[in-house]
Amino acid sequence: MTNALLSRRRFFALSAASAAAMVVARAAGAQEGEGQANTGAANAPMEADRYKPVRLAAKGTPVMDQAKRDELEHHIHCQCGCNLDVYTCRTTDFSCQVSPAMHGDVMALVAGGYSAPEIIAAFKNVYGDRVLMAPPTNGFDIAAWVTPFVALSAGIALVLVVLKRLRAPALAPTISPVLVDATPDEQARLDALVRSDDR
Amino acid sequence: MILIGELSLWVALLMATWGTAVGFAGGYYKRPELIASAERASYATFGFLLLAALGLWSALLHSDFSFRYVASYTSANLPSIYKVTAFWAGQSGSLLLWAFILSAYSALAVWTNRSRNRELMPYVTATLSAITLFFVMTLCFGSNPYERLDWIPPDGTGLNPQLQNPGMAIHPPNLYLGYIGTAIPFAFAIAALITRRLDAGWLAAVRRWTLVSWFFNTTGIILGMWWAYVELGWGGYWAWDPVENASFLPWLVNTAFLHSIMVQEKRGMLRKWNVTLVVSAFLLAILGTFITRSGIISSVHSFAQSSVGYWFLGFLVISIAVTAYLVATRLNDLEAKAELESLVSREASFLFNNLLLVGIAFAVLWGTLFPILSEAVTNNKITVGPPFFNKVNVPLGLALLALTGIGPLIAWRRASAENLKRQFTGPLLAGITSGAALFALGMRDFGALVAYTLCGFVAGTIIQEFWKGVGARRRMYGENAVMALVRLVARNRRRYGGYIVHVGIVILFAAFAGLAFKEEFDVTLKGSETYEATDPYGNQWRFVSQGVSRYDELNRQTTAVLLDAFRNGKRVGVIKTEKRQYMDSRGVPTFQPATEVGIMEGIREDVYVVLAGVIGEDTAEMRITFNPLVWWVWYGGLIMAIGGLIVMWPQAERRRAQAGYSTVLQPAEQSA
Repeated sequence: MTNALLSRRRFFALSAASAAAMVVARAAGAQEGEGQANTGAANAPMEADRYKPVRLAAKGTPVMDQAKRDELEHHIHCQCGCNLDVYTCRTTDFSCQVSPAMHGDVMALVAGGYSAPEIIAAFKNVYGDRVLMAPPTNGFDIAAWVTPFVALSAGIALVLVVLKRLRAPALAPTISPVLVDATPDEQARLDALVRSDDR
Repeated sequence: MILIGELSLWVALLMATWGTAVGFAGGYYKRPELIASAERASYATFGFLLLAALGLWSALLHSDFSFRYVASYTSANLPSIYKVTAFWAGQSGSLLLWAFILSAYSALAVWTNRSRNRELMPYVTATLSAITLFFVMTLCFGSNPYERLDWIPPDGTGLNPQLQNPGMAIHPPNLYLGYIGTAIPFAFAIAALITRRLDAGWLAAVRRWTLVSWFFNTTGIILGMWWAYVELGWGGYWAWDPVENASFLPWLVNTAFLHSIMVQEKRGMLRKWNVTLVVSAFLLAILGTFITRSGIISSVHSFAQSSVGYWFLGFLVISIAVTAYLVATRLNDLEAKAELESLVSREASFLFNNLLLVGIAFAVLWGTLFPILSEAVTNNKITVGPPFFNKVNVPLGLALLALTGIGPLIAWRRASAENLKRQFTGPLLAGITSGAALFALGMRDFGALVAYTLCGFVAGTIIQEFWKGVGARRRMYGENAVMALVRLVARNRRRYGGYIVHVGIVILFAAFAGLAFKEEFDVTLKGSETYEATDPYGNQWRFVSQGVSRYDELNRQTTAVLLDAFRNGKRVGVIKTEKRQYMDSRGVPTFQPATEVGIMEGIREDVYVVLAGVIGEDTAEMRITFNPLVWWVWYGGLIMAIGGLIVMWPQAERRRAQAGYSTVLQPAEQSA
């Protein structure tokens, strides 16, 4: 009886704690307004100052064909507010005004004889690192590139250590028999199946 | 019905609170009446959340614009099917779907375990109720789908055109079924940790639920890829967007677990690792939800920014803290019960398979979150997009593909040199022959050549396994080849179902590699003008414009262009691409014009046409793309799903034992 009473008390204490949590949550979380799911760049806010001209004086004849230019545009981040590269945005979101303008700059620089790294550098000078589709390979951001491989190497080392620890020097087979109520004939077929599974 | 639904949400809150409290109390004090009450509360929560869901559907179908949610995501003239699917178009509706599916899963888990795992069930029930409670609290206090407007608008905003697609009708529920499926194994892991019953019992229950989660996660991801391909118009199906990445993370970890659980079942090893994977899959699903709903990371899929994301962050932190405490205090109970006999064994290869899967998961997570870290450290906004993810993950993915072939060829415990020679000769020859043949045919893309060589190798291993299995049955039982194949799969569904999943993986990799040969053309055509192009296979194509037509249909004004397509001089069909301006019931345009892609599907390639715009009356600007092997992505996914179903299909315990999949019990456990 005492136990039952105690457990009820504890239970009501738990209930009270839950109710308090609800009140706190109510106070903390104001109802959010519903907004339509932003599923496309077309719905991203478009601001006139997002585009900045990237212009350089022509220095020679083009060194890139259309395929290479398109590939280059995959590495330049459209600044319209979407999450896409210039090529993808201009060929997907036909309401975007920023990606065609940036595409125009790329075409002008290609026509002016600039190479892909030079064009990337020109865009970086104007917009900063945010115009790149991948982290820069200098400063702190090099960590983005290095960390996955460092982690993988650490993982390989860890697996090797685990394998070494798991490995016993001279083991008799320690696997326990699986309990199956079988006739001798069934047991023979079972052994054959397990053997075939162990191939 | 709507009022009942609204009230039911609040009653569900009480039920989930009750279930959480009495579940933990019943487990702690071992009080059967409290445990039974918690289980009944689980059924009741499901019932009330079903009513809450029906209420919202009723409001959507009746266009009751007094509700903010209905007014925000539908209009009176929206086709009924999309009024139904608008349920998960927004924040609060999708949270209600999440809570409803979770309660259904919980009720099913409680019901199927009514006479099994009884020591675990109080804590399983309580943990699931606690997770449900979090979701219902978020709904009631953070993002309530039943919130009313101060005034009733004459019509709603309408549904985003990109969501008016059959893919969006089935992709999100599938993905949610996959995400939420991780909660059940998580609850079993928590229960096993609390009770210290970390032997075989909880694994059997967890494996089936992980498969359920994996199956829906797989179909959800593939359907999402299909939706992106047919609807977004950029010609691809995977852009390494943060939300796509969020769906991929639990899939990777679940896949790792489904391999490593075999090592624990067969050899009693990797017990800590398996608990970690089960828990990580759930935590990553919650992290993915936080990413999607907080607006912390820019994504084309993001829901409206809201404080709801931070509720998830809080929940995530609490879950990590509780789990870390439980694991740390039970490390001794998680020691391996067997030793590794050889580094050249299937269990060792599964360890490396797990390392790669988790390594890819880490790389994806790292790349997804790195912009936040970089901005915090350098105060500089950067983007981590496809160039990063492809560079980091392609080599890891190819290594994983190689292990997909290597793992099944190596014997459990110890592989002899003879065994290795016998098993590897055929598949290696298949791989090298594939690569050499493609090189001889003119393929020079290094990545694609490596991918196809590995695809040939893995396909060789799978064919060899089926060949040997069918041959053995034919010799033993005198069956014909078809019957032997069917029975081979039916008698050992896990092993051969798994190989069928591997077939799907090979097909997917082959299809991904095909993207290296994509060709695109910008085209401007007047009516009856033609455009000629050569596809990646060297076929000559001619496209003849049939002009621009404009017409009204359903809730939209459509501008369409028809192209007659000829391959090597032979007419092969008509491709229609459209631009649609959606309108509400008063004829007011809603959203910006949307593009409908025209696709001529084929086994070898898709011809993919996007209408960029119309100049004047009759001139269309289009982008024509030849997309090699895309068809194989969908059918590779389908084969993976079929393989998953075969693995999931219930099999008598005796058969599982015959196949060697009974969990290894140590003497102490057997006598317990």
